[in-house]
Amino acid sequence: MDASVLTIQPSASEPIYRQIVEQLRRLIAGGQLAHGELLPSVREVAGFHAINPMTVSRAYGIAESEGLVERLRGKGMAVIATRKSGESESHRLALLESQLQALARQANELELPAASVLRRLTKLLGE
Amino acid sequence: MNAMLRETGIAVAPLAARGLVHSYDGSTVLNGVDLVLPPGSVLGLIGRNGAGKSTLIRAMLGLFKPQGGEATVFGEPALTLSDATKARIAYVPQQPDALAWLTVRQMLDFVGRFYPRWDEAFVQNTLTRWQIPSNKLLAKLSPGERQRVDLIRALASQPELLVLDEPAAALDPFARRELLREVALRGGESGTTVLFSTHIVSDLERVASHIALLQWGKVRLHCSVDETKERYARLWLPAHLGSAAPAHAISQRRHDDGSLSLVVERDAQGQWPRASQLAGARIDVLGLEDLFVAIAA
Repeated sequence: MDASVLTIQPSASEPIYRQIVEQLRRLIAGGQLAHGELLPSVREVAGFHAINPMTVSRAYGIAESEGLVERLRGKGMAVIATRKSGESESHRLALLESQLQALARQANELELPAASVLRRLTKLLGE
Repeated sequence: MNAMLRETGIAVAPLAARGLVHSYDGSTVLNGVDLVLPPGSVLGLIGRNGAGKSTLIRAMLGLFKPQGGEATVFGEPALTLSDATKARIAYVPQQPDALAWLTVRQMLDFVGRFYPRWDEAFVQNTLTRWQIPSNKLLAKLSPGERQRVDLIRALASQPELLVLDEPAAALDPFARRELLREVALRGGESGTTVLFSTHIVSDLERVASHIALLQWGKVRLHCSVDETKERYARLWLPAHLGSAAPAHAISQRRHDDGSLSLVVERDAQGQWPRASQLAGARIDVLGLEDLFVAIAA
């Protein structure tokens, strides 16, 4: 995996370390990161995105404690969790829950009918 | 034991200020500032124009004698630093003006001799990348170019303590990102301690481990960047709920229609103030920029 795979939005209200953990969860749940794949080093991520290395370490530490990755001596962090069939769809959907809630709230504030939001969303998903 | 821990804690802090007080022409700029930078931390100092950021930085480095309080650098009184300690520090002022009669190349050659860990390769690379004419007199450079040269000088000395006063102001987005990358990687690995002032909050969100907000001569907020985002939010109350406003808000602002915006903090259990549960009330999680606008307004 390359450091450029991650997207960092410094000004978002979500702290950067959580943005990284969220993305790792999604990439692993979605199967884009396979078992055994190595994460970029803390220095690579920090250098590429010009962010504090301690933030990256913290994210990796959380991913490790969640059992998503493991620390291999002399190699760095490797993915251990894999996408499980069966529970995978609801599990993967759960990872989008907060974004879906935010979307629903904003659509309601704009008084948009559900049908037109869904129509647009369906189109985007099909692309 | 406690006293000893406290003693060592203060002694090793690359930069520490206690009770700094200073005023210019009768107006108080620093009104009792306490600030400690632990080794390896990257502290972003923010505040509105005229909040006293430059004055605080200069007082912490011992560049003038404040009317009250004391500052230490690596445990030494800032006003009487030894040469050995000075060699561990690099400071880039907002408007560098030293050695203006030299060319860029002459100044860097001259200064480089004083630093045991001078990184000449870095100088060469960065002069090219940042497009600085190295045979031009410093006095003839634009303020932006002048500050870029000084940033190169500061970074090339590989300091243990790096202090930058509004470094981003003179840089285009490309050079700014490069500077942030340098700051980030040095902070993390070689354990360089960094203090930089800025009003570009997104810079700070990238590289800072901690932030301090200077307002009314005091440090009003000092915590880790992550914690700031998770611990504070804006509570908005419509006019008819105004009386329910929590008493201990960080800041409070009443809008023309009578509604209220307050900056509030989670309690020890991680809960927002109870008023946020009322029908019609709203909690907005804020990015740093919005948070500071809300507090400093």
